[in-house]
Amino acid sequence: MVRFQDVSLRYGAGPEILDRVSLDLAPGSFHFVIGASGAGKSSLLKMMYLANRPTSGRISLFGRDISTLSRHDAALLRRRIGVVFQDFRLLDHLSTLDNVALPLRVSGQRSEEIRKDVVELLTWVGLADHLDAKPATLSGGQQQRVAIARAVVSRPSLLLADEPTGNVDNRIAERLLYLFEELNKRGTTIVVATHNEALISRFNYPVIRLVRGEVRLEHAETLIRSSDMPPRAPADQGPRDTSLPDDGGPGSAG
Amino acid sequence: MTAAREAQAEMLLRKSVVPLNSDATGRFLPWLVAVMVYLAALALVSAMAMSKIVTRWDHGLSGQITVQLPVTENDLTEAEIATRRDDVLALLRQSPGVLSADHIGRDETAALLEPWLGQASGLSELPLPDLIAVEIDQLDPPSTANLTARLIEIVPGATIDDHQRWLGNLLNLARSIEIVATLVVFLVGLSAVIMVVFVTRMGLAVHYQIVELLHLVGAQDSYIAREFQVHSLKLGFFGGLVGLILAAVTILGITQLLGRADTALLPALTLKPFEWLVLAALPFASALVAMLTARLTVLRTLSRIP
Repeated sequence: MVRFQDVSLRYGAGPEILDRVSLDLAPGSFHFVIGASGAGKSSLLKMMYLANRPTSGRISLFGRDISTLSRHDAALLRRRIGVVFQDFRLLDHLSTLDNVALPLRVSGQRSEEIRKDVVELLTWVGLADHLDAKPATLSGGQQQRVAIARAVVSRPSLLLADEPTGNVDNRIAERLLYLFEELNKRGTTIVVATHNEALISRFNYPVIRLVRGEVRLEHAETLIRSSDMPPRAPADQGPRDTSLPDDGGPGSAG
Repeated sequence: MTAAREAQAEMLLRKSVVPLNSDATGRFLPWLVAVMVYLAALALVSAMAMSKIVTRWDHGLSGQITVQLPVTENDLTEAEIATRRDDVLALLRQSPGVLSADHIGRDETAALLEPWLGQASGLSELPLPDLIAVEIDQLDPPSTANLTARLIEIVPGATIDDHQRWLGNLLNLARSIEIVATLVVFLVGLSAVIMVVFVTRMGLAVHYQIVELLHLVGAQDSYIAREFQVHSLKLGFFGGLVGLILAAVTILGITQLLGRADTALLPALTLKPFEWLVLAALPFASALVAMLTARLTVLRTLSRIP
């Protein structure tokens, strides 16, 4: 699904952000990317969603070498990738519905299909009553749900989330991760960049740790020992609350 | 409930993704386009008018020569003047390469001088030369020198004016004006292109985050370019239409003024249907130029985004 071979990245004449990174993410896998601020988490994700190209090395997505992709094919590949941006990147002049519909509109889907899919999805994330609401009128939590809905509306094979738990409390962050877990169970490959080690220690997924531009593959279990948060008990694996509350998000006014 | 929501959704989905209408980047574009189309229309009309003059003079005079028989050298009677005129007409009509030869009457000669001298009452008193208009075969013209030599034998002092000297100068002047007018149209078009490039780049800079987001969610470059090119198309067409209306008013005004001047020297500014069609095409041309320029500018800018 995602393969990095000796990938390095630097911006202009600056220092090396990523240094000969190699990793291989299988289809349907769930990975966390962790590291201190400036460790290169966002840069790694940006290369996965084709916003940045590596300075050296080779990246393959869905079995295709991205260096050989035409602009047309790169755009088609991006449609198979959903991204939840750290700052949501919602368009202020568009309604909730139009924001979520964006990936479908650019892929040329018919209006009837778009309406059906988007209304259904917004109903699922609890925003059916906010179709025409502008992002500025939504709470942080609601904005986050719009951003997630936009990322998953085109049923991507790969979902990338950059610090989705950055500015929310642990309770909301945990629910968010449960939501990603649900999507993962439906076959979506998930990569979540976060600095919240305490939270991810509660989930039993592989961890890509970035230290000074280099990658170390770990398992969440190894983090449990250093975390002050208890791991989920086997009983926790049962039904769980994946709904997100209306407040507490980064854009929350309250 | 779901049906109501979908109906609501239909209304919402009609919006343009890049809000170009709500920012100031293209606010002045239609008015600048209007000025340019106005100038282009006037330059085009000048070129058309000049083209007509050139054609008229060229066709009208290159197939003609004028024979002048002086009347001042001797005190000739009207009968003597008529006799030698008939001799000259007979000679001309028999000469190879001459299609026709007709006497230009005194009143007609006076009328030709009117634009220069006005309707002076003393015009008929002037010693005007006896003129003969000769139509020649352009494919097999007679030798002017030989013809002159034979005419002098009948009427000493007779001359032939083949109009070439002043016709050549006038044609050169008219063609120069025509070239300058065409150059003005070209420069106006070039200015419009530069202006649209500038406005489009401003729009791209203002809405960069939206453009980048569209790019990241999988929009093809052509999809993003369409947002800008449709906007430019509308502005270009509106501006072009305003410019054309103003130009039409000006052209009609000038036509009225020329009509009142009542002079044979200035051309009548009447446009053929085809020429009106060319002018009517200007708003479409400005819209097309604006659209293509915006599209190419956006595609070029996007090619720098990985």
